[in-house]
Amino acid sequence: MKPQWRWFVGGVAAALAIVLLALIFVAYQSPELLLDWANLRYCG
Amino acid sequence: MNPSSAGWRTPLIILTVGCIILTLSMGVRHTAGLFLQPMTLDHGWSRETFSFAIAIQNLVWGLASPFAGALADRHGAGRTITASAALYVIGLILMAQANTPLAFDLSAGVLIGFGLSGTTFAVIMGVVGRHTTPEKRSLALGIASAGGSFGQFAVLPVGQMLISTYGWQSALVLLAAGVGLIAPLAYAMADGHKPAAGAGQSVVEALREAGGERSFHYLFWSYFVCGFQTAFIMLHLPSYLVDGGLSANVGMTAVALIGLFNIFGSFIFGWGGGRSSKKNLLVLIYALRAVAILIFMLVPLTTAGAWIFSAVIGLLWLGTVPLTNGLVAQIFGLRYMSMLTGVIFLGHQLGSFLGAWLGGRIFDETGSYLIAWGLAIGLSVVAAWCSWPIDEKPLVRQGVAA
Repeated sequence: MKPQWRWFVGGVAAALAIVLLALIFVAYQSPELLLDWANLRYCG
Repeated sequence: MNPSSAGWRTPLIILTVGCIILTLSMGVRHTAGLFLQPMTLDHGWSRETFSFAIAIQNLVWGLASPFAGALADRHGAGRTITASAALYVIGLILMAQANTPLAFDLSAGVLIGFGLSGTTFAVIMGVVGRHTTPEKRSLALGIASAGGSFGQFAVLPVGQMLISTYGWQSALVLLAAGVGLIAPLAYAMADGHKPAAGAGQSVVEALREAGGERSFHYLFWSYFVCGFQTAFIMLHLPSYLVDGGLSANVGMTAVALIGLFNIFGSFIFGWGGGRSSKKNLLVLIYALRAVAILIFMLVPLTTAGAWIFSAVIGLLWLGTVPLTNGLVAQIFGLRYMSMLTGVIFLGHQLGSFLGAWLGGRIFDETGSYLIAWGLAIGLSVVAAWCSWPIDEKPLVRQGVAA
């Protein structure tokens, strides 16, 4: 793979990874998860 | 490329597959708490019944890790991972069918505990360590740790979505299907068991040698502290924040921030371990944890403060994994790396058990987490002190080629 393509693919992968992490982070604000998280203190 | 890698099993393939396996095994395990409410409601069990099985799981995971590591070191990681994945899948399916507390203890506790021991850090790190050069090993272990961290962060909302959409029993079967993917992936980790340094040792000799080294004991006890702190903080931080007047939403965001920054921290400390002293970085992690907790205790509790603390502690969360595993490989060699990291991981799990249980016990006795936070600070200082004298030099064995 040519260096310029390597940077392009790497950049796209990094951008997608950031979007994925942001989406997962937002998913943590789900009210259902919020409710059930309190259970974790009982079981790890 | 390491000489022990051959054919299509390149270091990149092994690292990628190792990350995926850790994502699946650590991630699914992290969803356990989500099943507490629906399962206890459906079966009419107490929360203690559920918690007891998960406590068994944590202990079995720790106790079985040295044996899973020894099996991987002697008979190959591929077989060990496949057999463990099978136990994990069976455990999840039987957990969905369990109608009595005993059946639940055996499935969610014992079977999944055994499954975890062969599909998580001890075994995977051994394979990754064997297939990377010494210069790149710490970075590779850091990337693998980040995979496990990503799993903990990412699979929890997925588990919740599955429970909401399909119900808890179907969700368990679907998660079992996800864990089942580990079995074919394990083929890539079947590294043919290439002996490296220490090839002339038996398992008992390797254990005796490690037991005679003070550095091994320092690693064990510092990892114990790591387990204590992470279990205590993850389980009790949300409650601590809510008790302090903050909303449950802040508690949830704090947990998400820990998970998110943990991914970066695992990678950063793995990368750093390849460039500077691993034991000095361990000292830094434990010292910074003590300082972070101390500041968190001293300043007034605010939303911003909780988020900053979560981000900082997340960065320091599993950075200990590539450093501790890297030190085991560096000092004792690669031959019994999985078994020896399994022994040290037992210390981590004992600490986790104590951190989770003692945090609740202290709160029940005193009505406050203050003593538990103080204990976390004190143990952090002890861990930093334990890590400082670790001798990073590889052991010189008489009559064995290094």
